[in-house]
Amino acid sequence: MPNRLAIVGIGQTYHTSKRPDVNYAEMTREAVMAALADAQLSIKDIEATFMANMETFEAIYLPDHQMAAEAGFYGKPGLKVGTGGTSGASAVAEGFYFVASGLYDVALVIGCEKQDCGDTTAAISAAATPIWGKGATTGAIGEFAKQALSYMKTSGAKEEHAAMVRLKADRNACRNPYAHLKLGLKSIEDVLKSPYLVWPLRLLDFCPQSCGACALIFASEKRAKKISKKPVWVADIETVHQEPFRAGSFGDPTGKETYTQHVACERLYKRNGITKPRRDIDLAEIYEPSNWEEMNLYEHFHFCGKGEGWKLIEKGITEIEGEFPVNPSGGVLATNPIGATPTIRVAEAALQIRGDGGEHQATREVKTALATALGGPNWTVMTLLKRSL
Amino acid sequence: MAKKKVKETTEKSPKEEPEYVRIKFNQPRRYDWSTGKYLGHFYAEAKENKKIVGNRCPKCKEIWLPPTPVCPKCKVDMGWDWRELPQTGTVFQYTYLVFPLWDPHYGERWANPYASGIIKLDNGVFYRHFLEEQDKEKLKEGMRVKAVWKEDYNERGQGPSDILYFKEIGKE
Amino acid sequence: MATVTEKLEGMDVWIYHGRIYIPNTYAAGAVGSQFLIALRDKKKIMGMRCPTCNRVYVPARSVCKDCFGQLDEWVEVSDKGTLLTYTVCNQPNPVQPVEPPIVYGIIQLDGADNGIVHMLGEVDLEQLRIGMRVQAVFKEKREASILDIKYFKPLA
Repeated sequence: MPNRLAIVGIGQTYHTSKRPDVNYAEMTREAVMAALADAQLSIKDIEATFMANMETFEAIYLPDHQMAAEAGFYGKPGLKVGTGGTSGASAVAEGFYFVASGLYDVALVIGCEKQDCGDTTAAISAAATPIWGKGATTGAIGEFAKQALSYMKTSGAKEEHAAMVRLKADRNACRNPYAHLKLGLKSIEDVLKSPYLVWPLRLLDFCPQSCGACALIFASEKRAKKISKKPVWVADIETVHQEPFRAGSFGDPTGKETYTQHVACERLYKRNGITKPRRDIDLAEIYEPSNWEEMNLYEHFHFCGKGEGWKLIEKGITEIEGEFPVNPSGGVLATNPIGATPTIRVAEAALQIRGDGGEHQATREVKTALATALGGPNWTVMTLLKRSL
Repeated sequence: MAKKKVKETTEKSPKEEPEYVRIKFNQPRRYDWSTGKYLGHFYAEAKENKKIVGNRCPKCKEIWLPPTPVCPKCKVDMGWDWRELPQTGTVFQYTYLVFPLWDPHYGERWANPYASGIIKLDNGVFYRHFLEEQDKEKLKEGMRVKAVWKEDYNERGQGPSDILYFKEIGKE
Repeated sequence: MATVTEKLEGMDVWIYHGRIYIPNTYAAGAVGSQFLIALRDKKKIMGMRCPTCNRVYVPARSVCKDCFGQLDEWVEVSDKGTLLTYTVCNQPNPVQPVEPPIVYGIIQLDGADNGIVHMLGEVDLEQLRIGMRVQAVFKEKREASILDIKYFKPLA
């Protein structure tokens, strides 16, 4: 039985497209300082650090060696992890494993990305196998375009529904002081006016490239109760990987039916007695790279039946005031510093449980929240948070 | 390799104070990637015979493309059971690139627009490639297509790129 | 696309000669920028002092690695210093700023508590020794780069 642990400190930078005023390390430090302030701890209290970053997105290798001092891991044990889009959640998993094992009592988890340094699509393409992956590659966008088309055909969703997802994300982002894109979109037409990038994905169907960082402080049960009045318990984590090129080979080459989300849900829900996710969980912060993917993911995580994802958005169920809010922060569609993005999902879900969401606090009471991450060849990490164990 | 010095340039932020320095470093990194003997056989068949080949799992009998030394499903050694795949199929899924992306190999912008798709070959194996048809209105799922090869023997030897694109059957 | 794959002689194996091209822009940040601008505009080498540890970092940095403190006390250090160690590089590589042979050294400037890596010039290889005194030589045309210091030369 693993030891219990909680999130006792949450911090993030504001997110934006360019940060010339700070270097990579200094930017990351802002999130670390915010998390330490939130937990009312000093760097001396931190026993180990776990850092995530999507390596090569800054066109450099080993970003962690640049920021040992700034991010607070100088002279401390810890690991850097890079698992593509899920990196930020893999660092959360690392922190979870190490504290749950009893090895450390207080650990710092950091996700960071400074996307004004490199070229994201070139970096993603560079991760593909040279011959098979790169030949017909269109970066991540092309994959999500194919999924969108597939989703449209099989579920009956229309472009208007994707536009509704963006409108929800934008309304929520406008209430979140840290969010990147705050467009003030008024209508479905505003979204449908945006040009196609990779058909049928429009510019506004896709997430932006942001600079930003997010830090969390984990503490063992004994320490957590002393450090924080409102510890958020990390109830469980599930991680599932699969083989890159053959991502969709098991049943569906488009990747619409995904293996990893299926397996991750099955394990996580079973272990935690979740039979009806929308009833047993109060809120979700999911990693949705595109408007279409959000509706797709509703189905994969069993928030609704197959082919019904777009109905949740149409009925307003996943709105901030809705019965089952999804991404009250504005989500990845509004803010996407990739290495930090999954960490932000966990951070935002924890804020909702604490009731510290401020302007973007969900209307309903949140006792249990789910944070998910998606990345690489559709890898999945799911984190279950609770107000009390 | 030609002696070429790294271009390192600095650029000033716009006139507003304070001035921030941004240092640019643009240097392609070289690497050599070996196909190994399984993918190597695919290369050889493409170059010599203009054939698309996959290898078949002795246990589940599924044909894998790209060829693989170990069956991803059964985790058993694949052996050397090669099967030629049909060069005709239907467009299972496609997309259409509007935004010009970087070619990560050479740092040039790719020409656009272009269409790429997942083609279901006539024996049910899926294959990703470019499509000849560039007109979004004419692209459709279920479109019948066939592989078009590079005719010049000396130009082949580039594996999947030996097929230029998949072209609609019956369209000249 | 250019021809990039070659058959390995005598084997059914093919080698793909790839290049990964990801343009990189490093944002020096506020403190890094001021350091580089001082090199360019004033030919001055600036450091940052940590009041807690009483240590001067060169190049200037915003955080003390030991006490994690935020730094803002700028100090100018000397353009003269001591060679802590050195090596001679004869192998050409495209990432090197000049043609080989290149003498790389770690130089502790007077007033600084750490060494910086740079090149040595106007020096006979036989003349090199640890502990020798050196002085920065600035380029005529400077562009806010660490290479605005052309090299360090031996002090006469």
